Amino acid sequence: MSTPVNLEVDLGAGLILRNPVLTASGTFGYGLEFEPFVDLRRLGGIVVKGISPRPRAGNPPPRLVETPSGMLNAIGLQNVGVERFIDDKLPPLRERDATVVVNVFGQGTEDYVAVAEALDGKPGVAALELNLSCPNVAHGGFLIGKSPKAVAEVTAAVRRVSRLPLWVKLTPNVSEIVDIAAAAADAGADALSLVNTYVGMVVDVERRRPVLANLTGGLSGPAIRPMAVAAVYQVARAVKIPLIGMGGIVCVRDIVEFLLVGASAVQVGTASFNEPGIAARLVDELAAWCRDHGVDDVRELVGAIEIPR
Amino acid sequence: MPENITAQVEEQQALGGDYHLLRIAGPTIAAAARAGQFVMLGLGDPGEMLIRRPFSIARVIESAEGPVAFEILYKVVGRGTLAFSRLRPGAAMSVLGPLGRGFWLPAPEAPCRPILVAGGIGIAPFPLFVQQLGPAARHAEVIYGGRSAVDLPLAQWFEPRCGTLTLATEDGTEGLRGRITAPLEQALDRADEQEGSCVFACGPHPMLAAVARLCLERQIPCQLALEETMACGFGVCLGCVVPRRHPTDAFDRFARVCTEGPVFDAREIVL
Repeated sequence: MSTPVNLEVDLGAGLILRNPVLTASGTFGYGLEFEPFVDLRRLGGIVVKGISPRPRAGNPPPRLVETPSGMLNAIGLQNVGVERFIDDKLPPLRERDATVVVNVFGQGTEDYVAVAEALDGKPGVAALELNLSCPNVAHGGFLIGKSPKAVAEVTAAVRRVSRLPLWVKLTPNVSEIVDIAAAAADAGADALSLVNTYVGMVVDVERRRPVLANLTGGLSGPAIRPMAVAAVYQVARAVKIPLIGMGGIVCVRDIVEFLLVGASAVQVGTASFNEPGIAARLVDELAAWCRDHGVDDVRELVGAIEIPR
Repeated sequence: MPENITAQVEEQQALGGDYHLLRIAGPTIAAAARAGQFVMLGLGDPGEMLIRRPFSIARVIESAEGPVAFEILYKVVGRGTLAFSRLRPGAAMSVLGPLGRGFWLPAPEAPCRPILVAGGIGIAPFPLFVQQLGPAARHAEVIYGGRSAVDLPLAQWFEPRCGTLTLATEDGTEGLRGRITAPLEQALDRADEQEGSCVFACGPHPMLAAVARLCLERQIPCQLALEETMACGFGVCLGCVVPRRHPTDAFDRFARVCTEGPVFDAREIVL
């Protein structure tokens, strides 16, 4: 019998995850919807749907279309708002001993601060993930996420009011993601999630109309994986804080790919729609992959890419 | 509780005009299915098909031991359904279901003569509806429309099983020429006199909007089965929403077709 593989990872600020496989915001609801398919405790963590200070209706339909190896969505952050999240969603999640990361969305700095303050001291929240990157709402996160100065401002403002580990989720729709990442890190982020979706568009050529009511949407799925891997690789060489990589993960080799370029953990997103239990399955498969490759501790893989000279 | 399984294709039947009937083994799903409910179907390999597709459960197949399989009716319209049309008996599919809220059938003693209205592929939930109506189906009226004769692949199935079957095609190649709204209006006006008709409709949005309007004007109960693009089928992706007529707060402005529908009372939603 070989010793079991260590899957625990350190995300900074004292947060140790039982394994590096989380579920991505917007693809796992509030977690509870997945109970018929997966034991939530087996996951490294659950990042819940973006929460804003007040309930949001989201965008009109159509909101979703499949694309080659991807999916384009413009949901528009429909969510129950922070009060109902705390009252209705958080207690059952806590009972189930799930590691819950709350994705926070707002129109401006004061919204992010308001959600962070509301969640401060609430048992059952492991970390905050600031959504500075949703491409599907006209104001707020996305515009903030394109400016290093605005990212630093929001990050620092939330840092001042919250003792929770603070992650910042970045948009790849920028000219230099490394500059944005550095701004978030300098402003007090404990970790960075990258990447959110890429802006995309699909046209119904018969009707000569955009398929989505929002005109454009955010592209996710395997189609974006090589771009996401490149973003993690670039940012890992520039900042010292832990990274959480995501973008089109559908199998264990995809997870290892993100770890090798410098992610300490990953999030599984779109794939959970097709196979609700996939994140838990990939936890087991990651352990098996490590065993098969003589890796005793998954942390050995983080940043272990070898660049030929 | 929906079942998430890998299931075997039992039979694939081409009905002409790109319409197919696919039979899938699944005793638990077949036993639990209510008319109007749906399954999410995929090919398992995310490389070929990243998200599953929703399909009405068209019919339940029973053996001497009980329900053993179910069927879906589909039309080849894109990459996913093209891949489905190439599946042969024995092929594996990933299946999640039964999902959503189906039609609520009139109680046997209720004075309700069902009028089923289908447009094109919107006929899909109605064979199971007729199966589950039982003997009451003999009083049911079916109004079934499509673009052309080839778009009415289940017409012959309904013929012996219902009270009356009215067909309509836009090009006049089968039945009445035109849309289903004209025969529906006549049926509803007859229903005005005979108390207790109720309408069950499935088809494209403009058709459902017209059906809802005709029924609401006459205060005739009307249930609509909606089709929407969705990624998950169980309430998480929020891709398949429809505006609610009377929202209580911002979060409530849209209803999810997958979990709060796909069948809605016409008074609940805005089309």
